[in-house]
Amino acid sequence: MSAVTETEKNINTEKKTTNRFVEVAKSLMKNKLSLIGIIIITLIVLVAIFSPIITSYGPYEQNLERTKLGVGSEGHFLGTDNYGRDMWSRIAHGAIISLLVGLSSVGIGLFGGIILGLLAGYYRKLDSIIMRFVDLLFAFPGILLAMLIIAMLGTSLVNVVIAISIWSIPGCARIVRGSVLSIKNQEYIQAMKTVGASDLRILLKHVLPNCTAPLIVYGTMRMATAILSTSALSYLGLGAQPPTAEWGAMIAAGQDFMWDAPHISIIPGIAIMLTVFAFNVVGDGLRDALDPNMDVNN
Amino acid sequence: MIGMIVRRILQLTFLLLGISFLVFMSMHLAPGDPATVIGGPNATSSDLEAIRDKMGLDRPVLVQYFDYLGGILQGDFGYSYQTNQAVTEAIITRFPTTVKLAVASMVVAVLIGIIAGIISARKQNSWVDVTSTTFALVGVSIPNFWLGTILILIFSVNFQLLPVGGLNSPFYTFEGMKELILPAITLGTASAALIARMTRSSMLEVIRSDYIRTAKAKGVRKRPLIWVHTLKNAMIPVLTIIGINFGSLLGGTIVTEQVFAINGIGRLMIDAIAARDFPIVQGTVLLIAAIFVVVNLIVDIIYTLIDPRISYD
Amino acid sequence: MMRLKKTISLLFLLMTVLLLFVGCSNSESSSDGNNGEGAESDNEGAFEVTYATTSDAAGLSPIDTNDSVSSNVTYQVYETLFKQNPDTLEPEPLLADSYENPDENTWVIKLKEDIEFHDGTPFNAEAVKYTFDQLKDPERAAPRASLLAPVESIEVQDEYTVVLKTKEPYGPMLAALSHTNAAIVSPEADKEGDINKEPVGTGPFVFESWEEGNQITLKRNENYWQEPAAIEKVTYKIVPETSTAISMLETGEVQFIDQIPSDHINRIESLQGIEVQKTEGTRVSYLGFNMEKEPFNDLKFRQAVAYGVNQEAYVSQLNDLGVYSESIIGPKVFGYDEEAKSAGYEFNPEKAKQMIKENGYEGQEITLLAANRDNYLKMAEIVQSQLSDMGLNVSIETMEWASFLDVARKGDFDMTFLGWANSTADGSELLYPNLHSDNIGASNRVRFDNSEFNQLVDESRTSVDQEVRKEKLHEANLLAIETAPWVVMSHGVVTLGYDESIEGLVVDPTGMWSLYPVTRK
Repeated sequence: MSAVTETEKNINTEKKTTNRFVEVAKSLMKNKLSLIGIIIITLIVLVAIFSPIITSYGPYEQNLERTKLGVGSEGHFLGTDNYGRDMWSRIAHGAIISLLVGLSSVGIGLFGGIILGLLAGYYRKLDSIIMRFVDLLFAFPGILLAMLIIAMLGTSLVNVVIAISIWSIPGCARIVRGSVLSIKNQEYIQAMKTVGASDLRILLKHVLPNCTAPLIVYGTMRMATAILSTSALSYLGLGAQPPTAEWGAMIAAGQDFMWDAPHISIIPGIAIMLTVFAFNVVGDGLRDALDPNMDVNN
Repeated sequence: MIGMIVRRILQLTFLLLGISFLVFMSMHLAPGDPATVIGGPNATSSDLEAIRDKMGLDRPVLVQYFDYLGGILQGDFGYSYQTNQAVTEAIITRFPTTVKLAVASMVVAVLIGIIAGIISARKQNSWVDVTSTTFALVGVSIPNFWLGTILILIFSVNFQLLPVGGLNSPFYTFEGMKELILPAITLGTASAALIARMTRSSMLEVIRSDYIRTAKAKGVRKRPLIWVHTLKNAMIPVLTIIGINFGSLLGGTIVTEQVFAINGIGRLMIDAIAARDFPIVQGTVLLIAAIFVVVNLIVDIIYTLIDPRISYD
Repeated sequence: MMRLKKTISLLFLLMTVLLLFVGCSNSESSSDGNNGEGAESDNEGAFEVTYATTSDAAGLSPIDTNDSVSSNVTYQVYETLFKQNPDTLEPEPLLADSYENPDENTWVIKLKEDIEFHDGTPFNAEAVKYTFDQLKDPERAAPRASLLAPVESIEVQDEYTVVLKTKEPYGPMLAALSHTNAAIVSPEADKEGDINKEPVGTGPFVFESWEEGNQITLKRNENYWQEPAAIEKVTYKIVPETSTAISMLETGEVQFIDQIPSDHINRIESLQGIEVQKTEGTRVSYLGFNMEKEPFNDLKFRQAVAYGVNQEAYVSQLNDLGVYSESIIGPKVFGYDEEAKSAGYEFNPEKAKQMIKENGYEGQEITLLAANRDNYLKMAEIVQSQLSDMGLNVSIETMEWASFLDVARKGDFDMTFLGWANSTADGSELLYPNLHSDNIGASNRVRFDNSEFNQLVDESRTSVDQEVRKEKLHEANLLAIETAPWVVMSHGVVTLGYDESIEGLVVDPTGMWSLYPVTRK
């Protein structure tokens, strides 16, 4: 055992964990882009939490006499949609739904993908069988997979999340496996093996951290894809149930009014874009901060 | 290497078998009955019975499945419930169109993505980097159908530069290229953004890695050499993304073909799903799956060529 | 901080640019909207017309198909024995010359002479018999076999006389014979080839080619038994996305489109050089109750809902592409009487709330099943909001079409929305399939079973006296309105958007149009 720790000390540039967290947080804060990202995310979360307080209409309150009002209209500063519902209210109430959809589907997808990827990359014997399974998931076009899942389970937001998470798994698994393959033959890993470190320890402490950078980038980009997929599914008629104020569904529903009331789809589009932007710059910042070899402001 | 390829192709057969079973079962278990679609809303019960009987849909699902497999062994992929066209024929007439679209958008994606990624990485945090990052983010945040419609409104309707829809002329003609531009951009944008981001982060990773540092420290002053090394090593995750993305690209053709009125595999598939035209769904899914596996096999082969440390044998 | 600002402002700049472009195209399009290179707007060169349809035809044989896209093609290639006059709604002879009823169960039909199919086969009584036998043949499994179900035998009396015999008197016979799916096909072509792929009829247009999923082309029938058509070539282009189709109309890539969704009508009307035609149609859209389920089988509950739904508000969202009437049989359908227009339950929110309270239905959970196409989602969203205001607990379940048809047929829903495009414009063809108990488990999705109603509908079907039929249909209509298995949402308006260079294109209340009378301006 002592041999293992010895080796770890020798090859690891890490300092103590407490310091590490502060350090990461510090370098995140120093990176102005990620700071902005954090601010945007915080704002969106605040809006999501306080949506009942900061809006003066319900998100499902129709007013068929005041439909398709433009941005800056009286009483509706973001205008109204085709049923006269307040856009701001729908955006605010939709924030929590879209965030949850994005986070949960990426979370589930990453979890599954990491496990499969680590196993496949590390254990030669499992590689082939796991990767063929991943191929099976992969080769199934995502939209078709979602259509089948939704056709069988019915249209609901939960089923949408399930469908989207399943289709994040294979991508993540391949990235992890790719990284594992290129790391596992490096000398220090071989050295750890020879001194008797357990596979689990090697995988979690040495192999996985080496995958974090691509995974964070993939995960944050995937957030975008996840929230957007809801929009593509809605376009094909398989997304959240109306009248749910989910951003993706709102874009798709606004598609028909691109001509006379483009704000109905552009506003949720901007909301998604800001969210995606925020997650990505934070993801970037995290990656940079987690990378011990770099100085932040070069 | 050869062994690996042979093995993978053998595995492909089993993969396709698995997929065909999954698709067959899920299509039959999902609600929706091809007879009600063919009969339309005003068909009577006896009309529907007759249709089901004619198509053999009243037999047990497993019997139907093995019947289908038996047909495949003889090269018969069945006939469309809707048009009675042979599945192979329906696919063959549309396949070139989808390939054209997919390849064109992959070219758009790889060109823009890798170039933007490299520039970003070299000038990290410069305004070029910020701009390209921003565009990448905007690129991945725009829904396909939305971008397509906007592009049509701008370039076809407003400026009348490009045709609105259809892919009818061969791609090497002027007409054909004009038709291809908007759909390829629509479909390729999201992938371009993803590739740009991957290239950037992967390049940065490699630049900071020990051996490049060592090389620099040792005074390797030949910058081009360093860049070639960096690029080569940075390409592995990028390749993975390209391979993976080819799948979602094929999926994306569904929406793009819809918006641009392109008669390709994606639309064939979505229409078939909507009409519960099982033989066509089977055929298109198997085809897309096979293409996907082959593309990824190629990606794996390129891995071993780029990075000899990776081996599959 | 500078970089940040740049990033953010870039984001917004891009959005603004996109918005501006949309804005520009909106205003500029009117000035140079329709200068496409299409030869069709010039007066020289061949007269060719292109039409955009959202989906491909299922087939091109009237016997083997039953969808409006296929009908749009078969309607130009084949002809029926009779044809409904869109103004009087009365069937008039087309391929038939005259008919008589020696008794209530016998129809002796004289055919026009010297007509040939496109393949040279003569049109005669044999061809009619062949077609109808095929339509009725269980082996062939024609989707609309039910059209001629009451017909027991088809006999050839002489070369140009055919005799149809029914078991019971069949009132809508002429309407059935006017149906596009009862068009006469060339027996030779059907025996030797596949008319579902290469159609052969007697109509003004001859099939040229079908590139599945992409386009169908027809050319003028030079040997037509009447004057040949002015149009030389017709192309049906498949364009699934409506906004793309409208863009093509604007750039001149297509000359006309139909079935314009209400959300897009404003855009088309703003285009210069494009004419829009709107005509009241035979289609009716309704909110249906599952009559076999609590509490939807309670008349009080249905009345409360009927009082609580504000159809005017719904129709106001259709941009004039819908007409409100409480009558189930629409104004353009045989069997309609003015009296039925306001025989239902007029919007009365107070009364609705009161009835819901009194009968203990407050907070009642309801799921509205809606297919995600046409206007069904719009109906669902508006009705959901209105009924929620009445004190009911309403949610929406959406489904794609195939699942919906299946689920609705099995009666697995609380309340649902559906429409009925009545292609014969005959009231019996509306009430019998949708509300007669014979069709529970098939097209009677609300599972309405009312013996008095059944009787009235049966009488409307078995009488050959049109006056009696009309009377019976009206009575049945009033009964159904009162019992309220359906709450009518709107009656349809059929539309066409076409290039101003073409003239004479008219859309029927059933949504059909003929290219035969179309000329170039």
